[in-house]
Amino acid sequence: MKSSINIDHICNLARIKLSPEEKKYLVPQMIKIIEWVNKLEELKFDISREEIYSPLASSLPLRKDEVQSSLGVDKALANSPEKSREYVKVPRVIEGK
Amino acid sequence: MKLTSLTLTELEDLIQKKEIKAEEVVSAYLAQLHREEEKICAFITILEEKALARARKIDAQKEKGKLAGIPLAIKDNILTEGIKTTCASRILGNFIPPYNATAVEKLLAEDAIIMGKTNLDEFAMGSSTENSAFFLTKNPWDIKRVPGGSSGGSAAAVAAGEAVAALGSDTGGSIRQPAAFCGLVGLKPTYGRVSRYGLVAFASSLDQIGPLTQTVEDCALLTQIIAGFDSKDSTSSPLPVPDYRQEMKQGLASIRVAYLKESLLKGIDPEIKDAYKKTLKILEKIGAELHEIDFPSWEYALACYYIIAPSEASSNLARYDGARYGWRHPQSSSLKEMYLNTRTEGFGQEVKRRIILGTFALSSGYYDAYYLKAAKTRSLICQDFERAFQEVDFVLTPTTPEPAFLIGAKSDPIAMYLSDIFTVTANLAGIPALSLPVGLTRKKLPIGIQIMGNLFQESNLFKLAFLIEKKVKFKQKD
Repeated sequence: MKSSINIDHICNLARIKLSPEEKKYLVPQMIKIIEWVNKLEELKFDISREEIYSPLASSLPLRKDEVQSSLGVDKALANSPEKSREYVKVPRVIEGK
Repeated sequence: MKLTSLTLTELEDLIQKKEIKAEEVVSAYLAQLHREEEKICAFITILEEKALARARKIDAQKEKGKLAGIPLAIKDNILTEGIKTTCASRILGNFIPPYNATAVEKLLAEDAIIMGKTNLDEFAMGSSTENSAFFLTKNPWDIKRVPGGSSGGSAAAVAAGEAVAALGSDTGGSIRQPAAFCGLVGLKPTYGRVSRYGLVAFASSLDQIGPLTQTVEDCALLTQIIAGFDSKDSTSSPLPVPDYRQEMKQGLASIRVAYLKESLLKGIDPEIKDAYKKTLKILEKIGAELHEIDFPSWEYALACYYIIAPSEASSNLARYDGARYGWRHPQSSSLKEMYLNTRTEGFGQEVKRRIILGTFALSSGYYDAYYLKAAKTRSLICQDFERAFQEVDFVLTPTTPEPAFLIGAKSDPIAMYLSDIFTVTANLAGIPALSLPVGLTRKKLPIGIQIMGNLFQESNLFKLAFLIEKKVKFKQKD
């Protein structure tokens, strides 16, 4: 497999900016890592999607749908960088004038 | 009697018999901590006043828990209510959790004392603790060397006598590798044995909390306390928790051990290889049957891990966006800019590398070639273990390919990733694995051997480790 990475596209998806200097060493490193994991190409699989390992037991335990107490607004908001009354405050979402 | 040289069970015995007070124990450990910490730098947060106040309270109690007055260190990616939990990341630099992790809750219910929160590779991503956003932690056996990682602060704290034992977390070897580097016993329990509630998620299908201790018995006792079903973690197992400490001493009816063939030991440090072979000889002497087992998938495990773990990390770490908690970049004119600026400046280099790698492996057009292929490889690894455990009870490997390396020695990420070559398989297969110190190199650096067992066979791991421990008589650092 040809190893390439569209770093700007991936960084946009990951919401991370890289400086030109960071790109200069990170991109070759990433390509090296990708070429290294391409080792998996050698394997032949006879495994369907259903048989793929899942850490979950075949049936997850269910619990009764009972109302329980939760953190409460003060505790839940205690770590927020900016708040207004009982809300988290963020920069404007709708772009434009 | 030097209190900071005692094991957890020895100390507990003295406290329960009222021969010493919890306050004396905590004071002795704090004194040791103050002597060592400047050199070792194991702790991000030290809880001096809280620890002493709690010790006094426990001394005044009539009924005492199983860990009454025991000074423990907790890795700083395990939540502690009201106590800063940073993950050694700038992005959580001032985060104060509103609740305790279940494992912490269980320790506190047995009257344990938290001495502080220990350093780690940022978000547990690394094998040397050099990726902490705050400072380096040194290996107490040789301060020019790393303590391993990512639970390096926990391992160093115990090896330096700053805590009797510690909790760490293990996603690809992060308990076992630092345990090996610092001469400790470290257990990665079966996936689901210990609740992950309150463990900051790195790769949710691989993460487990586990203990780092001086002896196998200490490890058995702590595992017993933190294990069990938790309604707050639906992946935790409802299987009952055995009395590991009692069972450990009962011996094993069958000791069939698989060892790695020569080609899988290629390139490892000769002294580690010698120690591995010596351990196999000890096993033979105590009546074990040794089998060379073929693991066709073994050499693919690391590549598989370095797709699965970053993929899960890229998804888990999407939550750090500066909106609801954690650090927020102060200058952003739009929501998207806030996400970008916060994450760009809040995360360190290795975390960014893994998020980008994971995002790539999951991205449209590459998912089948990378993530899906790695997920299928993981199934092959599980099948290989299932097959192996029909013939043997244990798989024995070295824990690490080399002893503790020098600080700054591994600048290439792949060289660093290769540190995990023997440990990642247990996380991928979900099975329990324990690292046990078996000796020292000529340079006086500890060597660890890894024992892997079948799912939920922790009790057998403790039994075998206990038998080996009695033979090798590893001496903790003074």
